[in-house]
Amino acid sequence: MKKILSSLLLFQILAGLLIAQEWTVPADKKGRLSPFPFSDSIRKAGLQLYSLNCMSCHGTPGKGNFQALVPPPGDPATDKIQHNADGELFYKVSEGRGQMPSFKNTLASKDIWTIVSYIRSFNPAYVQSVMPEITSGAYSGAVIALSLLLNPSRDSVMLKASAIRGNSVVPVTGAGVKLFVRRTFGLLPLDEEKTTNDQGMAFFPVPSDLPGDTAGKIQVSARFTDEDQFGPVSKDTLLQVGLKIEPVSLVKDRAMWNVVRKAPWWIILTYSLGVLVVWGFILLVLLKLRDIYIIGEHIDSVGAKKNES
Amino acid sequence: MGEKKKNKKPEETEIQSIVESSRREFLKNASITGAAVVTGAAAVIAGFRHERAKKKGEYVKVLTTDNKLVKVPVEEVEGYQMGLKELQERGRVGIKGKRWIWVIDLSKCRNARKCIEACQSAHHLRPYEYHINTLVMQESVNTPAYFMPKPCQHCDNPPCVSVCPVDATFKRQDGPVLIDNERCIGCRFCMAACPYSARIFHWQDPKDAETDKGKEYNVELNIPQRKGTISKCLMSCDRLRENKLPYCVSSCPNGVYYFGDENEDAVTNGTTKETVRLSELLEKNGGYRLMAELGTKPRIYYLPPKNRIFDFEKDRPEEKDFII
Repeated sequence: MKKILSSLLLFQILAGLLIAQEWTVPADKKGRLSPFPFSDSIRKAGLQLYSLNCMSCHGTPGKGNFQALVPPPGDPATDKIQHNADGELFYKVSEGRGQMPSFKNTLASKDIWTIVSYIRSFNPAYVQSVMPEITSGAYSGAVIALSLLLNPSRDSVMLKASAIRGNSVVPVTGAGVKLFVRRTFGLLPLDEEKTTNDQGMAFFPVPSDLPGDTAGKIQVSARFTDEDQFGPVSKDTLLQVGLKIEPVSLVKDRAMWNVVRKAPWWIILTYSLGVLVVWGFILLVLLKLRDIYIIGEHIDSVGAKKNES
Repeated sequence: MGEKKKNKKPEETEIQSIVESSRREFLKNASITGAAVVTGAAAVIAGFRHERAKKKGEYVKVLTTDNKLVKVPVEEVEGYQMGLKELQERGRVGIKGKRWIWVIDLSKCRNARKCIEACQSAHHLRPYEYHINTLVMQESVNTPAYFMPKPCQHCDNPPCVSVCPVDATFKRQDGPVLIDNERCIGCRFCMAACPYSARIFHWQDPKDAETDKGKEYNVELNIPQRKGTISKCLMSCDRLRENKLPYCVSSCPNGVYYFGDENEDAVTNGTTKETVRLSELLEKNGGYRLMAELGTKPRIYYLPPKNRIFDFEKDRPEEKDFII
């Protein structure tokens, strides 16, 4: 009886742990659907993306050859992963958790959907529902544009999203927007995601210690969070919001490790003096030898004269 | 005679008709050939004009050696192979305006060794020749063990460069410490001077010595490697020239490496491609430099192995796994 009770307790604890580990996806992200239908060519592209980004941990779907990690990554062909809704799969790939890396910066949303299409090809019971086209929305058929303006006090940037249809310009309201600073290897987010207000505007504070180029200019880039709805609309502008940074070469100072003409003065002096001393000494020895030779000659000539006399 | 004349006449007419017919034939052929030649030439000229018109006004964007993006007409673009002299000069000068910086997050390393593999394949090294290696570290008995990827620290006060008698190893304006195998005499002073044991020596013929024969030596890639000389981590200078992250950084599956430009105060994670502020990253995680007390001023920062999300003991390599 005790054994049964203890095993029950253990089971409960394990179940509790499992529930605690449950990966919950926010309700608004759960129902997200792919903007395009999954076709054979998309699944094929998905296979390529999967082998590049997912296979090293999740293995080949259906073969159960995933890596022995804790928690186990799981085989995408199994129920564990297939029971997720499309939106959940998208969210988990995009955000990541623990050892599962986030792919939102490495893969475009279209690519993540392509991978989802490949994963779904292992589920015969799966029937795809595609996101209905946004035709009923306020911005159907309009050109969506973003504009950026620097606050005169230079501490914030105003982002304005507008939908242009013919001659009428309507503000895009309630849309998630992000502002980035372009850096050598990627985009540095400035503050959190913001939502445009009823005038289609969002304000991003700019830190005062952000390094810019030699003129203090920074390349900023604005884009919508929801690419599926607004498309890949982005706006890149140079703004005068950064610190003026004059790049300094790391080899500009005189140092022992630097090239000869940038060696420390004391090395140049000691070395040159050392060379002078050594050569001076050699010269001195040569001069002395010459003196000895001359004296020898002299003695010889004196001796010869004496002999003559 | 009359008979002869009679006889001759039909002959003459025959000849005449033959001559005439051949003339007609000739004229016919000539006109056909002429027409064909004219049409052909016209077609060729038209085609040529079309091709020229097609290419005219088409530009390609080209990155110049001083990192400027310029537009060049398509028809003027020619393939160009850099010679040794140019490669050497370029390699010595470095990339202006940059100060490469590297951050290694020890809390994420679980000895996947993908960085090592990528590095060895890029620089043509054997499995036991390391430009970067992951070490098992434990400070004292009661402190936890951890993995530490250890490349060359690319010091800002490099003792290895100070001791080089032939100016073969050098520090660049953008940070990396490189080695020129064309100059190296194999004295190994630098190996002795380096407190981080970051350098290796080619005692035998390098791995791809045969296949690399005849390749132009690139000081930013150390290929072809050379027997009897030093080889070391190069911060993947050839990749940085293309605005790409180093081989090891981009191949890490666990997000261990951050790489970026110190002048921009930003580093990008090689795995997630997430860009963060360097100063914030170091401040929040207590970044430090390896053996900073030596005054070598390493260009690499480490983040301590805290809040690890994996079990170290499970990943601890067994002795049989070591390549000796």
